Amino acid sequence: MKSELELRGVQQRFHARGVADGYVTAVDDVSFKLLASPPQIVSLVGQSGSGKSTIARNVLGLQKPTAGSVLYGGKDIFKLSRSEYDAYRRDVQPVFQDPYAIFNPFYRVDRVLWKAVKKFKLASTREAGLKLIEESLQAVRLEPENVLGRYPHQLSGGQRQRIMLARVHMLRPSFIIADEPVSMLDAQVRKHFLDILLDFQREHGMTTLFITHDLSTVYYLGGEVMVITKGQIVERGPVATVMHEPTHPYTKLLLDSIPSPDPDQRWTTRIQVDELERLDDNTPADTTKPEAPVL
Amino acid sequence: MRLLTAVLRTIRNSRRLATGLVILALLVLVALFSPLIVKAVGGGQDPIELAAYDKWQVPGPQHLLGTDQFGRDVFAMVVKALAVSLQIGAIAGVISTVVGVIVAFVAGYKGGWIDNVLSTFTGILLVIPTFPLLIALSAYAKNVSLFQVGVMISIFSWPFAAKTIRSQVLSLRTRPYVDLARVSKARDIEIIVTELLPNLLPFIGVGFASSALGAIFGLVGLEIIGLGPGGVIDLGQIIFNAIGTGALTLGAWPMFVVPIALLTLLFAALNMVNIGLEEVYNPRLRGVAGE
Repeated sequence: MKSELELRGVQQRFHARGVADGYVTAVDDVSFKLLASPPQIVSLVGQSGSGKSTIARNVLGLQKPTAGSVLYGGKDIFKLSRSEYDAYRRDVQPVFQDPYAIFNPFYRVDRVLWKAVKKFKLASTREAGLKLIEESLQAVRLEPENVLGRYPHQLSGGQRQRIMLARVHMLRPSFIIADEPVSMLDAQVRKHFLDILLDFQREHGMTTLFITHDLSTVYYLGGEVMVITKGQIVERGPVATVMHEPTHPYTKLLLDSIPSPDPDQRWTTRIQVDELERLDDNTPADTTKPEAPVL
Repeated sequence: MRLLTAVLRTIRNSRRLATGLVILALLVLVALFSPLIVKAVGGGQDPIELAAYDKWQVPGPQHLLGTDQFGRDVFAMVVKALAVSLQIGAIAGVISTVVGVIVAFVAGYKGGWIDNVLSTFTGILLVIPTFPLLIALSAYAKNVSLFQVGVMISIFSWPFAAKTIRSQVLSLRTRPYVDLARVSKARDIEIIVTELLPNLLPFIGVGFASSALGAIFGLVGLEIIGLGPGGVIDLGQIIFNAIGTGALTLGAWPMFVVPIALLTLLFAALNMVNIGLEEVYNPRLRGVAGE
């Protein structure tokens, strides 16, 4: 079943103490659409606290938005019938940021895969299930005998994160919601991981929402990119266009913040924190807020 | 069968847990066989009857631990008292752990107004001075049974377990593996039982042990002021008798030392079980190579 995932005017507010009006707006009127076919990779880029992880939680149905709606196949994901809900759960799957915390330390890592087999009825016998698990582990370039039967703390971060990819591989969802999946991996493992994601797109037709703060991984993945700051999407378009001709000042700032692996090319211009603040005040979100003090 | 071997293996891996369990098992065994032991000591007659023997006999082959001010065999009394003390510990421990765990999980996992109501209630019970109320309650209810005293004690001891477990649930329920279970179509009750509960076993164990110990010592306190359940002797009563009659000066030191030693042993065993459980259920404390 090919379908689409759409966010329509999603707003998420959280109660917070010490804020003037008693809440913070993490996501502010965000709308976008992800299509299952053709499979695409859409990156969502922003700094910490810009609301990107909250969007992931909204899309995954872990957090009900304060306003607006998340639509799967045109229907609100919080109002699905039982069979529609099953289809949605099967079709939209996450890869989370922290490869340590994603495993319950009490159990062996196999359990995550077996749970997927059982909950989504992927195999009817134990042998078939095991075969499926081994296939998927090999698809993410893990040796089954090296990881099965182990506890999470006995595996490396890269291995653990690839087990999550193996889980996705087994489920074959149309949409992968990857929330900073490579931020805790080192550079080599990171490339490996991104290549697997690209494989999934090409071979299994999976659409990925790739959430990150790191523009170089976005560049590597290609596809579309959306830039988010202060809960609002300020720029979107093909990666090449946004990278080479950024229109929003925040995007320009982000691009300027990428360190270049060239000792002769130092950061000559210092980016001041108050420069960031001033930029924020130029965004439409803050027109109602008081002026930042001019230094 | 597989479960049994798994349990045996974890016990073998933790020497502390094994020691604690062995001591505990010995104490429980003694308690279970206490009627037989008492019978054997009496050899036909009841050794705990008033004036069964001469009073204030010193320890010897006839009476291993001597006799008390009424001529009762102290060894038989201690064995019987241990059974009573363990019984009250088990009753109060089970009741307060079950209530505490249920309240903690409902409050911690559901959150919101349910949490507010339950936490306020727990907090209120926590600050009530327990002992005076216990005195009032047992004075009001004449001829209370052992079970009733257990229930009374657990009314005031479950909030401690509930409070600590709730805070753990609060921290555990936001873990990514809970989110992963949710996107794997796990229901709330399933998440609580399979994802949260196993990680909280050490805390639940600690809750049980401290409630059980609290109940045992609570009963000791009640016995001292003569408000214990009627017709039973627990370790506290023997200590109380030893203090009240100056048994130490009469050479009947076992009346004083043995019950205290047993209570200490019980305390040590339960604590070793706690620490051992923590080791077993927190695999990060285990060796990297696994089993």
